[in-house]
Amino acid sequence: MRKGLISVVASLLAVLAFFILIVYVGGLINPDLQLDETALLRFVFVAIGLVIVFLVYLATRSSHIWEVGTREVVYMGIGAALYAVFSYLFNGTVFVVPSVSQVALRPAIAIPMFFGYTFGPAVGFFTGAVGNMFGDALTGFSLSPQWSVGNGLVGMIAGMAWLFADKKKGINVVLIISAVLAAAGTLLYIFNRAQPNTMFYDVPNGIFGDAPISVFAGVSVVAGFLLVLVIRIIFRKDINVAAAVTWSMLGNIIGLGFAAISDIWINGYSPAVAIVGEFLPAAGPNLLFAAILVPILVASYDAVQVQMGR
Amino acid sequence: MLISWRYRERKSLIQKFDPRAWLIFFALYLVCTLQFWDLRYLAGLLVIALFFVFTSGIEWKETRRVWYFIGGFVLFFSALTFLTGRGGVEVYTVEHSIVVLKAPFTILGWQPTLNITAERTAFAISIMMRVFAMVSMTILIPYSLDPALYGVAFRRLGMPDKFAYGMDLTMRFIPTLGRDFSLTMDAQRARGYEIEKLKGGLIEQIRKLAPLIVPVTIHAIAGSEDVIDAMDLRAFGVGPRTWLTELRYQKHDYILIALGILLAVTCVTLALFGYGKFWVPPFLLNLAH
Repeated sequence: MRKGLISVVASLLAVLAFFILIVYVGGLINPDLQLDETALLRFVFVAIGLVIVFLVYLATRSSHIWEVGTREVVYMGIGAALYAVFSYLFNGTVFVVPSVSQVALRPAIAIPMFFGYTFGPAVGFFTGAVGNMFGDALTGFSLSPQWSVGNGLVGMIAGMAWLFADKKKGINVVLIISAVLAAAGTLLYIFNRAQPNTMFYDVPNGIFGDAPISVFAGVSVVAGFLLVLVIRIIFRKDINVAAAVTWSMLGNIIGLGFAAISDIWINGYSPAVAIVGEFLPAAGPNLLFAAILVPILVASYDAVQVQMGR
Repeated sequence: MLISWRYRERKSLIQKFDPRAWLIFFALYLVCTLQFWDLRYLAGLLVIALFFVFTSGIEWKETRRVWYFIGGFVLFFSALTFLTGRGGVEVYTVEHSIVVLKAPFTILGWQPTLNITAERTAFAISIMMRVFAMVSMTILIPYSLDPALYGVAFRRLGMPDKFAYGMDLTMRFIPTLGRDFSLTMDAQRARGYEIEKLKGGLIEQIRKLAPLIVPVTIHAIAGSEDVIDAMDLRAFGVGPRTWLTELRYQKHDYILIALGILLAVTCVTLALFGYGKFWVPPFLLNLAH
């Protein structure tokens, strides 16, 4: 551990030295040098995300939820592979799943949520982050490593459900936080209704993320929140399903929020575009998947567990 | 049953390198490609990628389908960017029109107009090069990296045992789960399930994806019991893991890593100084005048 720490610190110092050197040498050549660091920022945000994950781990490391044994290692592999395969299949090239009112169907997001909730935050983070990375590689799209970390956060936070000994208390806290965040995002939409929906691509009709956001996509986070609330009330007896849905919702809001906000610096979006044009149309539909597919997965897994006697 | 990538031993340049050296070079290469929109810089990077593709010994008939799929996809996207001018708005703001083609007919009062500008042409070429450069390097990995070395390569790159093994399992499970997915799809189709014809409202449509997603997921988890047992029987995670194969850097591995670092440092420095941004060839601009 100590040796690893030294090498991490050493490489960070090397990077720092490199930048100081660039600023110094560049200043000698051109006195009014303006450094253009936008392309590098995505790596900076990956580092910020990983630091957040590490701090959360440090704060809660005494809990058993972070234990990683053989079982968890295998679930990490399966979860990440499933997420990669599903995001490849449902990205709109292999199957064209219809989109309803500018909401593209991305069912793959249910995988990191389910794996995170069922097998713990470490498995959830790995599933989201590594799965998204491999999914990007399979598709051949350009890489956005900060979105990988965002997806990892989705899975990790879904797994934090087990931190609360009393799940009901946890659910209520999560519902309040999510309600505040969803309301804040939607309020921003109400004041910026003309923003383009950067997540909506409709190639045959020539729409490349520049059509004005539809009302449904704008309020989809609230719609998702209400749906989650309904599921929570329907399953008030089955606390397992209720917790899975609510914690997945919080993970989704925070994880995608992190990625969208980082685009303010990386892509030079204004805060309004990042939240209204990117966060709402991505996070809202995901909540619908959290509310519908995650309970089915949790219930099926419970049934299988009974069958296998584990 | 596990199915695997189409790896086999080939007499090729890329397989002479240690997998770690290759992965490091690959990561540095991606960092470089992400810095640029200028098609001159991208062309240089594409040449590097093509050099490795042509010396890799991978035959055309093995990878034909992958290239067709990605080629068609990229061409389609860049052609549409070119025709509609959308998608490139992030990197350029001024457009110089070369030709404006107006259709001699109108459809419901709308006259199809094709406005070819210098910027759109250059952007379509740039994006094509960018994606092809990254894809060419990525395709090489499953065909040329020995699956038996995934785990040890990630471990010796400094990742913890468990994380390295997780990465190993991920890369091994992807083709298997892809196969499982198509099996499940066929089974459900035989029962009359049609994913192409999902009906109903949004919620109903999402619910109807469950017959596809739930069986694949649950089957994968239930099937993993064998893998877990096998690993437990070999005392996985009890002590530091050992690997049957030892990896040792040779001289040429150090050279490859050094070249990769040199490339990355050069690219990052150029990008920091503002080079390599979107560039339109002057002859295209001349055409516009």
